[in-house]
Amino acid sequence: MYNFAYRLTLDQDDSKDLVQDTYMKAYRFIDSFQQGTNAKAWLFRILKNSFINDYRKKSKEPSKVDYQEVESYYNSDEVDRQITPDLRVEALKDMIGDEISNALNSLDVDFRTVIILCDLEGFKYDEMAKILDIPIGTVRSRLHRARNLLKEKLSEYAKQMGYKTA
Amino acid sequence: MSNPDQSHMKQDCETKRECMQLLQLIVDGEATHEQTTDFLSNHLEHCMPCYKTYHLEMAIRQLLKLKCISQAPPELVDTIKAKVIQNLAD
Repeated sequence: MYNFAYRLTLDQDDSKDLVQDTYMKAYRFIDSFQQGTNAKAWLFRILKNSFINDYRKKSKEPSKVDYQEVESYYNSDEVDRQITPDLRVEALKDMIGDEISNALNSLDVDFRTVIILCDLEGFKYDEMAKILDIPIGTVRSRLHRARNLLKEKLSEYAKQMGYKTA
Repeated sequence: MSNPDQSHMKQDCETKRECMQLLQLIVDGEATHEQTTDFLSNHLEHCMPCYKTYHLEMAIRQLLKLKCISQAPPELVDTIKAKVIQNLAD
């Protein structure tokens, strides 16, 4: 929970507040929790909604409209062709500092979110769809774009470290 | 996974698009058991682009798990516990 909050807000104090808010809301709305469903996913959904409602407004994150433009851009075939995974495993092994963390944090919050939920928290596509209120197909495509963007960023770092990309 | 003889692997994948989609399902644990074993044993060991992509994806996930998880500060846990207890008492 804390890690998700931290990766969303990128601020230690904000993430503490966000986690606290989430637990208090969960406590208050415990009746809306359906027995037998995934409690972790339910908590993450509350956290995500709190973030959008309370934090995203204040921050300098791009507005929803900007984001839609971003998504339609990334959904175009042209971008798909540009992104080639020319990054190598050996280069990753040398990334012992904050490279990957910085790369992840540099992604647009919606792309960052799917990577955190899937790769760090181990949620399944159907759980992510519920947490984010989007269809499973969107989860898949967003995850695909997010990983390509992350790889792009990582290959920039690899180049700076002197790795030649093929 | 075994270490295949790379000199005998094909350098181009003629089903790249389908493979990339399947690869994503496999690394995310969303593919069926049959899909996974069939792909890993019948395709991956012979196809250089897919072999490379698979190992790159796995390496990125490992690195993410190693570097991008921060633990909640202990005082946060205490604060939340205290608030919940206080709420229960009210």
